[in-house]
Amino acid sequence: MSGRLRQPWLWAWVGAAAVWLATAAFTGGTGSAQVLSAALTFGAFYVIVALGQMFVITLGPGNVDLSIPACMTLAGTVSMKVMGGAAAMLPVGLVLALLIGLGVGTVNFALIRLLRIPPIIATLSSSFIFQSAAIWYNRGLRVKPPEPLADFTTARIAGVPVIALAVAALAVAMHLLLTRTLYGRAVLAIGQNQRAAHLAGIRVERTRALTYLMCATLAGLCGFLLAGFSGGAALNMGEEYLLSSIAVVVIGGTSVAGGYSNVPGLWGAALFLFLLVTMLNTFGAGAGVRLVLTGLIIIGVIVAASGGRRRI
Amino acid sequence: MTITERAALLATAAALAFSAGTSAVADTSDKRIALSNNYAGNSWRQAMLRSWEKVTGQAVADGAVAAADAFTTAENQVTEQAAQIQNLILQGYDAIVLNAASPEGLNGAVKEACDAGVTVVSFDGIVTEPCAWRIAVDFQQMGKDEVLYLADRLDGGNLLEIRGLAGVFVDDEISAGIQEGVDETGKFEIVGSVHGNWAQDVAQKAVAGILPSLPDVAAVVTQGGDGYGAAQAFKAAGRDIPIIVMGNRHDELTWWKEQKDASGYETMSVSIAPGVSTLAFWVAQQILDGAEVPKDMTVPFLRIDQDNLEENLANTEEGGVANVEYTLEDAKAVIAEASGS
Repeated sequence: MSGRLRQPWLWAWVGAAAVWLATAAFTGGTGSAQVLSAALTFGAFYVIVALGQMFVITLGPGNVDLSIPACMTLAGTVSMKVMGGAAAMLPVGLVLALLIGLGVGTVNFALIRLLRIPPIIATLSSSFIFQSAAIWYNRGLRVKPPEPLADFTTARIAGVPVIALAVAALAVAMHLLLTRTLYGRAVLAIGQNQRAAHLAGIRVERTRALTYLMCATLAGLCGFLLAGFSGGAALNMGEEYLLSSIAVVVIGGTSVAGGYSNVPGLWGAALFLFLLVTMLNTFGAGAGVRLVLTGLIIIGVIVAASGGRRRI
Repeated sequence: MTITERAALLATAAALAFSAGTSAVADTSDKRIALSNNYAGNSWRQAMLRSWEKVTGQAVADGAVAAADAFTTAENQVTEQAAQIQNLILQGYDAIVLNAASPEGLNGAVKEACDAGVTVVSFDGIVTEPCAWRIAVDFQQMGKDEVLYLADRLDGGNLLEIRGLAGVFVDDEISAGIQEGVDETGKFEIVGSVHGNWAQDVAQKAVAGILPSLPDVAAVVTQGGDGYGAAQAFKAAGRDIPIIVMGNRHDELTWWKEQKDASGYETMSVSIAPGVSTLAFWVAQQILDGAEVPKDMTVPFLRIDQDNLEENLANTEEGGVANVEYTLEDAKAVIAEASGS
């Protein structure tokens, strides 16, 4: 049991359960199932981008992708406009969104590798370019998503959102990728000690390149799905995913210093973040109190999670 | 008086009348006006910039002013916009039309502009520096109007309030107006309040979270840009759609039209026309022309009701915001109204 308690991902789940129960206690249980269902839907979008961000952060100090919001916006706007609401164009739109993600990742890594710009600056500056491209391309136009896409993103099976099931499957695949494949082990090794990893024969730069490409591609996918879910792409649709993608990774128990990460914590943290805001909204707390409490509770969970790790 | 004398007099009078009639063009035809804008990342701002382009482009072609260039900062930050204003002063613009990132933060730069003899007209995001002109919106009245409309429609009930971006004064103003309306009419209770950040997807998420814990909601009061998201959240939760006050966005009006056609759904929609940038442009032109203009003016709302929905929807660009572009005459009317009060 003490070994279990040291699992860094456990605390995000404990936090999520606690805020959910607190909300349920406040409302006397009415609607707590629907709250959970909403949390699963919105949490799914967090998890998609956080999966990519987690791999990037695991690469070690200085590695972070700040272009996620711009990539989501660009992929969402371009794919919605190209599809023009036609169901037949759905595969084209999806492929296009993924290709935009790949393109964004390629540019990011080219800046990092060829121009030797630190990732935090490289991805921030590239995000301006992608955001401007999105603005230039559709100037705020909101094109409705094709009907099947909207249906897929909002469908439920026995009250459970289909998109949450799909993303859960994606998370399992990414968990296997991280823990059971050569690539995943290489990412962890690089994060723990890049020099040692290099000397051990790991192709460091190729692994980094793959990671940035994957992160941007997932962001493109998330932009595509989110645009489908919320009735079209908006120019500011990615805005809140910048900090929350990092917050979800960190609250989920991944080390900011890199080298140690886990997938289960991402889901816990994504649910926790949504439920936390819901709880404070339900309590009717003012905006100031709400932000302060959000900060304090997040700090609390991170301290609890890292307390376990420090004892190792 | 001989015929020659009379003809000469007439000619003089005609010449005077002619010069008076065209003085607005003659006096400012060599003036250059710049737009300093702090943000372009949503559909309202995009429409604002397009309106500016369209109206000022025509004004430049007609010779009303020499130039009317638009500049937008990349990061919506006070320091960046202050630097931009300093650049505009150095570039020798005669007037700066300003949508400011902060009501106080730019006062230093605005003062510099005034000291350099540059006319500063702020609108939408106004500045408090006394030397600048302000075209403000009575946001409080806007919030109150929403509740007054609901008081006409309903005998009472629960309201869900969707607020804007926490910490921005517009959000506080609209919310205060809503509260005032609730207190005054005395028949509504605000049972929930969430921040939707004027963004459809954020509003949808916030409403989806709080909705299960709420009793029956009779109406949703909003701040614009969030109505469609609220409707989506109600639909997803399988609840009856209450009266959702809309904010003039194309997606909101389209949804309203669909509901109206399907079930006779009734609501109202109110917001500020992005074309207010063109009103600020003409006011700046009038100031440069030497007109007596009071420092504080109020811009009218653009309100859409059940009977003029179709007309407004048809005039609204897909993905945009219902808009009005202002003319020189509109500007004169707004100036006259402000002078009178």
